[in-house]
Amino acid sequence: MMDKRLTKVLSAGVFLIALVLPAIALAQDAGTAVVAVAWQVSAAKAIAAGLAMGLSALGAAYAQAKIGSAGAGTLAERPEVAIWVITLQALPEVIVLLGFVSAIMING
Amino acid sequence: MSAQTATKAPTPGRDYGYGNARVRGMRSRLLSARTFDELMTSSDVNKIIQQLIDTEYGPDIETAIIHGRTPAAVDEAFRANMVGTFQKVMGFLNAEAHDLVGTLLGRWDLFNIKSIIRGKHMHLMPEEIEDGLYAVGALSPAELHVLVQLEDIRAVVDTLVTWGSPYAVPLRGALAAYGEGGNLASLELALDKYYSGWAAERLSGRRANVVLARRILGLQVDSINLLTTFRLLKNDLGGISPRIFFLAGGAYVSEDLFNTMSGLSDVDEVLDALKTTPYARQLEAVIATYVEEGSLSVFERALEDYVMRKALDAGRGDPLGVGITIAYLWAKQNEVTNLRIIVKGTAVGMPSDRMRKELIIV
Repeated sequence: MMDKRLTKVLSAGVFLIALVLPAIALAQDAGTAVVAVAWQVSAAKAIAAGLAMGLSALGAAYAQAKIGSAGAGTLAERPEVAIWVITLQALPEVIVLLGFVSAIMING
Repeated sequence: MSAQTATKAPTPGRDYGYGNARVRGMRSRLLSARTFDELMTSSDVNKIIQQLIDTEYGPDIETAIIHGRTPAAVDEAFRANMVGTFQKVMGFLNAEAHDLVGTLLGRWDLFNIKSIIRGKHMHLMPEEIEDGLYAVGALSPAELHVLVQLEDIRAVVDTLVTWGSPYAVPLRGALAAYGEGGNLASLELALDKYYSGWAAERLSGRRANVVLARRILGLQVDSINLLTTFRLLKNDLGGISPRIFFLAGGAYVSEDLFNTMSGLSDVDEVLDALKTTPYARQLEAVIATYVEEGSLSVFERALEDYVMRKALDAGRGDPLGVGITIAYLWAKQNEVTNLRIIVKGTAVGMPSDRMRKELIIV
């Protein structure tokens, strides 16, 4: 139930951002009040970077939660595969790293 | 199910990750076809014990053979292992899986209660009755122990009523009919009817896991209905409607089809009536053996094999569904049955070819 609610809230947030960002870009193209738009672009970049980092972290957390519970189950029955379970548990960290790199690139 | 059972509450929710991972780990320890081949070539029960001591059955065998390295002791070890495994699995399932699997395992409660009332009917010793029980359903070993110690069937029913067991309801209703004619069939039919209705009601819904569990239940109910049909072919009911023997909740055999089949005169006609169901193929495959042996156990075995295959297939679907657990529990039951056949066969000097024929699915 909580998973579904969280997904809905996140989807709504991403949808709103997706509507706002093109509007800002269009405003820039129109050449209207460049100075006034500059802070909006910075704000949009900051929001986008935050989303890239935050959403990727949430995704990684979700994946690690699932892998963690399955890994705990596997270790309870087959302790000899502990190395594999730890490796699999760490894999979703790559998603966060990609989000982090994306965030830097957006701001850079 | 029973008010007396004090078990740990299942984990709430429908997260199958943990439970299915554990079940997969346990499945990896099921005996391989090669091990079965080696067991079948063993010259005596001692060799079988030696081979099994390093497997999952080792601790149970070591405990059981303290009283002697006999086939009965090994049989006791297999039973203890199966009961322990089922209880362990039920202990870590999530709430949904616990409910679905628990409903399917209700057939073991049915089996145990039937064994007890049969034993009481035939005035067997409590130990003899207890040797054939499998506490893998809702009734715990302690509860079954109490039931087998009771004096007669009425006392068993009264105790189930006191515990609030749902099976007390049909038994109490059929007790009067049993008292009049002393016919056990009335009690057993009441139990079967109650279980199929109760389980079908609990397994109603459209979620994939519920549909899967309902399908397994439906196949089990169908096989009972089909066997009843075959038995009715050879019996004169003397004016009693065959409809009363029909169990609801089947997957393919509807009440109309059951009534149609009950009015037929031979097996060929029944198979013809079953053409639209998957059972026709299974039963036609063994018709030659049936003609040769003339025993309905041929059909019973074919239907058991089919239900077992379908239950094992349930594990090939959703990796985060209840099918993994169902498939494992049925595979474990199958393994224990096969091991018992091998031990008993070896003890009486049965040739390995014959033994292989007797095994269910390896």
